[in-house]
Amino acid sequence: MLQAINLTKSYGAFTALNNLNLSVQAGDIFCLLGANGAGKSTTINLFLNFIEPTEGQATIDTLDVSQHPKKTKQLLSYIPENLRLYPNLTGLENLEFFCRLGGKRHTNDQLQELLLQSGLQADFIHQRVSNYSKGMRQKVGIALARARQAKVLLLDEPTSGLDPKASNEFSELLLDMKEKGVTTLMATHDLFRAKDTGTHIGIMKEGVLVEQFATAEVSFQDLEQLYLKHMHN
Amino acid sequence: MYRLLTKQFIRSRSTVIVTLLVLALGIISVLMGEQFLNKQQRAIDEVAHYQQEHIQQNAQWHADDLGLLLYYLRFTFINSFDPLTALSIGQRDVNSSIQRVTIRGLEGQKYDTDLHNPTNLQVGNLDFGFVIIYLFPLLIIAFTYDLLSEEKEGGTWRLISSQASSPLLYLRYKLSVRVGLVYAVWFLLWVCAQLKLPLSLDMNTLVFIVLSGLYLVFWLALCAWVVSWQRSSSFNALSLLSVWVVLAVLLPASLNSLLANLYPVPEALSTMVEQRDGYHEKWDLEKETTMNSFFAEYPQYQKYSVPEEGFSWLWYYAMVHLGDAESRQSSEAMREKIRQREQASRIAAWFIPPLHTQLLFNDLAQSSLDNYLSFLDGTEDFHEKMRLYFYPKIFEEASVGKENWESFTPEYFADAPEVNGVLAFAPLLLLTIGLFAFAVLNARKLKALE
Repeated sequence: MLQAINLTKSYGAFTALNNLNLSVQAGDIFCLLGANGAGKSTTINLFLNFIEPTEGQATIDTLDVSQHPKKTKQLLSYIPENLRLYPNLTGLENLEFFCRLGGKRHTNDQLQELLLQSGLQADFIHQRVSNYSKGMRQKVGIALARARQAKVLLLDEPTSGLDPKASNEFSELLLDMKEKGVTTLMATHDLFRAKDTGTHIGIMKEGVLVEQFATAEVSFQDLEQLYLKHMHN
Repeated sequence: MYRLLTKQFIRSRSTVIVTLLVLALGIISVLMGEQFLNKQQRAIDEVAHYQQEHIQQNAQWHADDLGLLLYYLRFTFINSFDPLTALSIGQRDVNSSIQRVTIRGLEGQKYDTDLHNPTNLQVGNLDFGFVIIYLFPLLIIAFTYDLLSEEKEGGTWRLISSQASSPLLYLRYKLSVRVGLVYAVWFLLWVCAQLKLPLSLDMNTLVFIVLSGLYLVFWLALCAWVVSWQRSSSFNALSLLSVWVVLAVLLPASLNSLLANLYPVPEALSTMVEQRDGYHEKWDLEKETTMNSFFAEYPQYQKYSVPEEGFSWLWYYAMVHLGDAESRQSSEAMREKIRQREQASRIAAWFIPPLHTQLLFNDLAQSSLDNYLSFLDGTEDFHEKMRLYFYPKIFEEASVGKENWESFTPEYFADAPEVNGVLAFAPLLLLTIGLFAFAVLNARKLKALE
């Protein structure tokens, strides 16, 4: 579903992402681990077509995102580290707004149901987003992905700064989406969350994917050892 | 989409405050315009009544001397105004629309004005034109400066870029909501003006409306261009406010100063001195010299003789007329300089939209300097008409009682403004199209990430 083929991004002499080859199958949750500046967000941005690759291709459902930006946008939903919504609108209105922006129309009842399914408390649905916590905003993001019926979810450190309960709720929502066949590429620093939620893990260092494996193949301790080994070398 | 964008926009407290402020100032400007019109109309009504009272009283006091009576009598000449004057008061604020002239020397009477409270003059009138030209651009700047930057700074742009099939289209939607609110305020103020003022929907009013609307489009284009640079909110705000200061204040003031230096008017003083000297020195000259000059201009009065000794009205009115005649060259030179200044202002104004719009508003509202100069020309004609009517009667020592004084009601000067549609709209249109074109070119490079 998601594929990076010799994907490279350079800024002058600096190479942010170097010859990335990656394949994420439909329904998988692929977690990219790595320190700051390892190239995780650059990878996400390339799949979002926010930036042009210097070399290589990023494809979604076999479509090159640079060549087919409109079609690939229809397939994906994106939740950044800190999902920002319009503070003057309610959660429901924000959801309706972003759905319409992507060309999707839902009734108010459907949108409310999606927000409830995404874990937002009913009391908050009609409150302005200025009153929302970060976790609540991320839930609106998940509701948006559901509303858009996205096949691909691109997440850039979505649980960063969330408390453990909210983080756990978010992981459950991802697993629920996985059950529905949604493919997820998630950049994260959280080893525990990656092992707990992901189906595959890739470790990035200085723009290079240095390791990738299925989470079932490693224990949490092994993952931690492996990660620290790469970070210290 | 529009519903949600509108909700999002008008739920902002600053949007509500700025909109209400401009709306309130606009309504005040219409009310001030109405007040101005009423004041003018009252003055005209009163002056018509006062003229008759003044003539009847003086005719009684000087019943046996027509020359003496006409020394005192003042005849009213009124620069008629269009209701549009209420929207753009212009020169009417400082230059009197009512001239009350005797048939004596005109130069000394031309520039008599009403009594004004200097404090009020200093503050100036808040007319509708001011609201359109100076305040609406600020409203547009306040609504649009962060059109894109607020999304980037607020963190929503990444989400929009990832969701919207065309982020540029989204920005157009967003801009159109703001444009809609600007024009809603503009429309409401026009409705208010229509309700409060006796405006007729003639060509001048329509041109005024279209011009004011087009002027706002110019500012929208300017804002769109600055926004398309994709810089920060503070940069955009500072840039747009700087442009506003330059276009609305700095350039017009500098141009005024430049033109005052390029076309100095020393004749303003010399005209007055020449007229006064021209008249006063005649008292010491031989009557024959004076009369020869007078008869050279008006040979039809040669049949009237002036006694060698003593006073005669023929001699007196010849002296005061020659005062005007001798200052005519300076007077015309002054008028020519003022016209040159005006002409240069109008050409420069093609590149300064606020000034261009202001000049056209004043033209349409008959409150321009051109209108005032034409009124002065009309006053000269009126003065001459009255002189030539009364001269023979004075020189023949006609009876005061035989004159039908009631027929001397105020006369009106009517100026039909001629606004060239191409010259009126072309500069604004060209600048607007240019700015929008630049904005569109920049917008094509719209980036999701800085």
